[in-house]
Amino acid sequence: MRKLPFLLFLAPAALFADVVYLQGAGTISGKIVEQNAEIVQVDVGGGIVGVPMSRVDRIVKARCPLDDYEDRAAKLAANDTAGWLKLAEWASQNGLPMNAHDAYEKALTSSPDNAEARQALGYTKLNGRWLTEDEAYQASGYVKYSGEWMTPAQAQIEQTHSAQEKARKDAEYAAVAAENRADEAEAKAEEAEKEAKKAQEAQQYGYPGYGYGYYGGYAYGVTSWPTGTGPGLGAGSRPSGGGRR
Amino acid sequence: MNRRGDRLEVRAFSLAAATLLAFTLATPAPTAPTVDKIVADYVAARGGLTKLRELKTLRQTGRIFAGQGREALVVREVKPPGRIRVQFTIQGVTAVFASNGTTGWKVSPFEDDMQIKDLPDEVTNEAIDQTDIEGPLVDWKAKGHTVELAGKETVNGLATYKLKVTLKSGAVRYSYVDVASHFEVRVDSTRQVKGLDLKIETTFSDHKKTGGVLFPRRIEIAAEGRPQHARVVVDKVEVNPALSDALFERPTLPKP
Repeated sequence: MRKLPFLLFLAPAALFADVVYLQGAGTISGKIVEQNAEIVQVDVGGGIVGVPMSRVDRIVKARCPLDDYEDRAAKLAANDTAGWLKLAEWASQNGLPMNAHDAYEKALTSSPDNAEARQALGYTKLNGRWLTEDEAYQASGYVKYSGEWMTPAQAQIEQTHSAQEKARKDAEYAAVAAENRADEAEAKAEEAEKEAKKAQEAQQYGYPGYGYGYYGGYAYGVTSWPTGTGPGLGAGSRPSGGGRR
Repeated sequence: MNRRGDRLEVRAFSLAAATLLAFTLATPAPTAPTVDKIVADYVAARGGLTKLRELKTLRQTGRIFAGQGREALVVREVKPPGRIRVQFTIQGVTAVFASNGTTGWKVSPFEDDMQIKDLPDEVTNEAIDQTDIEGPLVDWKAKGHTVELAGKETVNGLATYKLKVTLKSGAVRYSYVDVASHFEVRVDSTRQVKGLDLKIETTFSDHKKTGGVLFPRRIEIAAEGRPQHARVVVDKVEVNPALSDALFERPTLPKP
């Protein structure tokens, strides 16, 4: 009896899960498994969702459907087909499709031919055999194209459309590439003209030829050096040239 | 979830429909009612113009099943003109897509994106099209749409009037109104999917009234040439819930 007040104090924390409200809109509800200054990781019952803390508006403790699912599942015997079916439907109605899937699977463990569970899991009975959704579509003559089942005729239309789109994009890309090549050639020609002029000037005024090369090397060195420590450069600045990082 | 069963049912219906059609063609056709009469019967079946006019806002809560284990809780809130907000929850993760009637925005953690992003114009326009709670047939002349009778067709075993609805925007839809109940049982539209025009068939069934207005509780969406159906089960309809305009506006975040 002396422990009771302590247990009561603990109870709310154990009962409630966490709801992470995103800035602006949207929520993630489940159980926080890790939280630091950068990120909060939430177990949503079907995996872990990571949310950058910079996107979090607030986190509140609240009882969520996942808590109820776990409480109810813990009370069900493995062979309680009706119980698992009921829980599966409840999970579906409460936005927990992965838990609903698990509960239907549990129902099938004790009753492998259960039509409700089979149909909810996407099975179709064909010639006395339960087929998966994919097997049933395949058996009905559909083909899978771009991740979707469709008639062969529709797949043909989509394939032709994709090929035309690709050809159009390739042609666009080729045109842009040709334009870039032409610009590059023009730039090279201008560069060559400048070089020739400089060489002519150097010859005329006695400048050593390596001076120009040295200047280039120095420039790259300076560009890559101040990684966030140089004057006027923030911590996020990145080196743009080769050399030390 | 038994799609093969559904397909067989549709095939059986189609066969029966073909037989019925043969008999229908063999007998003299009665005079078809006018578009105005069909629409008036449809409006009356939905609860009447007065009740429809009382609809200021709407909230529908349900579930969408898209096959391959894809399932989500959906909350759809509408406040004309143009305001719509749709929330999807999958396994504790809630995404929001909304429009204020001019621009659209989303926060979609499913796409690994926790930030507020603009919706593409075509998505926003499609969303805004859906905010006419009454539907385009109600008061179609005043709304600038045109409606023509395009014949009679059988939909899932039901004889229907096929109406060609050309929206003010130029978009064309076909609406199928059940001859017996006057309920709208199917709408065909064209939507751009990956750059390809796809005919989308939306079928409505399990109609029930809330606040004196009829709403379908089961909606099936299928694309031409594809066997998968997205099935929406509407669990709850709320008529005229309090919805603040702010719900639809793109949230402004404090500057970091």
